Amino acid sequence: MTFEQIIFYFFSTILISGALGVVLVRNPVYAALFLILSFFTSSAIWLMLEAEFLGITLVLVYVGAVMVLFLFVIMMLDINMDPLREGFVKMMPLAALVAIIIAAEIVLVMASPSFNFDQSVVHAADYSNTKAIGNILYTEYVYPFEIAAVILVVAIIAAIALTLRRRKGVKHQNPSKQIRTKRNDRVRLVKMPSSSTQNRAGE
Amino acid sequence: MIPLSNFLILGAVLFSISIAGMFLNRKNILILLMCIELMLLAVNINFIAFSHYLNDMAGQVFVFFILTVAAAEAAIGLAILVVLFRNRRTINVQDLDEMRG
Amino acid sequence: MTETIMSDISRALPEIFLLVAAFSVLLLDLFLSKSMKIVTFLLAQLSLLTTAWLVYNRMGVESIATSATVNNVESVQYALAFSNMYIKDALSDLLKIAMLLIGSAGFIYTRQYLRDRNMFSGEYYALVLFAILGMMIMVSANSMLLIYLGLELLSLSMYALVALQRNNGRASEAAMKYFVLGAIASGMLLYGMSIIYGLSGHLDLTGIAEYVKSSGMTKAGSFDLGLLLGLSFILVGLGFKLGVAPFHMWIPDVYDGAPTAVTQLIGTIPKLAAFGMVFRLLVEGLGDMQTSWQQILILLAVLSLAIGNIIAIAQTNLKRMLAYSTIAHMGFVAMGILAGSNMGYSATLFYTIVYALTALGGFAVIMMLSRKGYEADQLSDLKGLSQRHPWMAFMMMIILFSMAGVPPTVGFYAKMMVIQSVVDANLAWLAVYAVILSVVGAYYYLRAIKIMYFDKADTETTQAETGHKIGLDSHILLSANGLSLLALGIMPGALMATCVAVINVTMK
Repeated sequence: MTFEQIIFYFFSTILISGALGVVLVRNPVYAALFLILSFFTSSAIWLMLEAEFLGITLVLVYVGAVMVLFLFVIMMLDINMDPLREGFVKMMPLAALVAIIIAAEIVLVMASPSFNFDQSVVHAADYSNTKAIGNILYTEYVYPFEIAAVILVVAIIAAIALTLRRRKGVKHQNPSKQIRTKRNDRVRLVKMPSSSTQNRAGE
Repeated sequence: MIPLSNFLILGAVLFSISIAGMFLNRKNILILLMCIELMLLAVNINFIAFSHYLNDMAGQVFVFFILTVAAAEAAIGLAILVVLFRNRRTINVQDLDEMRG
Repeated sequence: MTETIMSDISRALPEIFLLVAAFSVLLLDLFLSKSMKIVTFLLAQLSLLTTAWLVYNRMGVESIATSATVNNVESVQYALAFSNMYIKDALSDLLKIAMLLIGSAGFIYTRQYLRDRNMFSGEYYALVLFAILGMMIMVSANSMLLIYLGLELLSLSMYALVALQRNNGRASEAAMKYFVLGAIASGMLLYGMSIIYGLSGHLDLTGIAEYVKSSGMTKAGSFDLGLLLGLSFILVGLGFKLGVAPFHMWIPDVYDGAPTAVTQLIGTIPKLAAFGMVFRLLVEGLGDMQTSWQQILILLAVLSLAIGNIIAIAQTNLKRMLAYSTIAHMGFVAMGILAGSNMGYSATLFYTIVYALTALGGFAVIMMLSRKGYEADQLSDLKGLSQRHPWMAFMMMIILFSMAGVPPTVGFYAKMMVIQSVVDANLAWLAVYAVILSVVGAYYYLRAIKIMYFDKADTETTQAETGHKIGLDSHILLSANGLSLLALGIMPGALMATCVAVINVTMK
């Protein structure tokens, strides 16, 4: 077994166990963490396939943004997990059966000779995957690139339109007003009829 | 040298785990959403492996777009989830049986 | 270089215009007070009509141009742009015009409804415009990447629109179901696309078609397992999006739960886009695998016709009934495509356009009967409609007749053409089956008509309705809509000839 193969099998094993963890654990926080593990390991596998840019993007965008959003929502919603697990054990045999059948079918096809390409090109050490993607992304793929931007705008509009609530009677600060206050707005000097003891205490 | 089929089989196994996860967690929408992310990960592994062995960048560009769209999709999905939770105080799909038939 | 960019931009001008218009609507809306929202409505309406005019105005322009990417050899009339990802041909032009006009009619129907429900806002109009933009991208896609991106732009806008009424629990429930099933369907579609890409090495449909041709799938008996695997995943994804059984689970819940304005949108224009998508992927991309996808589509059509027509009988909710009717209609669409002939595709194109028009009117009636705080979405709400609103009842009758396929209306002609093409494809048994189930399905349409004409209205319904005003524009539009179904039924020639010509030109 070559070194490359050892690395591949090592990461594949972690990836598959991570994926199993996502679907099997009780607590959604653990599931999210297992998903992060899966993303990290598949990022490593993508690096083996010379897709460095995407591997890094996966970590930055998925682990950095999407999974944080997931964890944020899990924490924000106060969810009672127990009823959500009902039928989990009952469904187990069926789910396992379906998964094995699907996997077996795909694997049988994938192992057939039509998927047996011989890798022709090994890139030189100074080959830049990011540059290669950048070169075509802004020229050949400029049309889909713009559409992807529109999709992100739709996501922004949707997320704001769905979740922004203007509550009534919420107390909030007005920083500019806070800064512009003068001493006289806050401190009121009150003249009090003085006695000698109080005068002494004030000093 | 690892043959292409190994990567494809890895993708296939991930894909079927995500489908099994959808069966198992039918009631828990949060984990359901995570299974969808797993499914897209399997698709991405396929695309990148093909792209590498075909020596064609189109597959990697496709993955770039899938990542973008999936991020947008997750944002909208979680926004709907939050709205649903505010209205119903639950994310249990089984409780959501006001509509049947 | 600049020259190609300019010609690319000029070809995609309608899409670019609609995009700019959608952003303008969104921005302008920020500065409008609540009483001035009508400006948003007018601007959105204007953008749709201008886009439709742009598409219409540029039809056939390419055939006289002499750019290198334009193929104006006699019968071939299409133009590619943006590195062959964008295709402008007769089919995309026709579908775009139909989508834009139906969208504009939908805006008129929904104005009062949205107002009553506090949804008359810039977000709504911007999201609808983005959804229509996504569908325009889908129907002129020449690459799997663009099909996917257009589809996602459509779907994401739709998920948000369904949930837009934030305090409506049923709507957010429907949105969640729609989202989860839609995302799974996208995943399936993508998995299929990845396999097809891996085998053919192409994302563009022309390259895929060449690969499929060379792989020898056309010869009977020889088949490529990999391609079949990819095809089956793609079909699952398409089935979900099209809403055919057994992938129809989301349709009744989403139709029922969403605000009727959004239901009308989901029930009409996306059907045209779905036809475009199926045509591009199955016919243009995988056309040489027709023997393989025909089998699967037969199964889907048989199941859809059964489920759509039989379960609809048990419904008491009008929106759910129309949802099941959609499933049955999509079964007909699948039937027309699986016939695999130019005649079949033309019949399906005709059928889809007609169905979109019919459903537009059907949901419009529900909205016109609804009022603030009350949804007229039960079958019993139609009771005595003929006494309360005789003209509206008459229009609804035409619409229901057209859905059922009763002769003077266009629905009959559309069904007949599809069945004819299936018979021509030597699938007479399927044609007979479709006719039988259509007769079964006619029962529930006729029952709705009976409720309108022979049942007495509840006194409370009549009382509640006094003071409820329906806009004159909706009335005029509904009359035009209903009468067009009748007129097209009597003289279907022109539209049918257009559809046949479009498909003949597109099929090269």
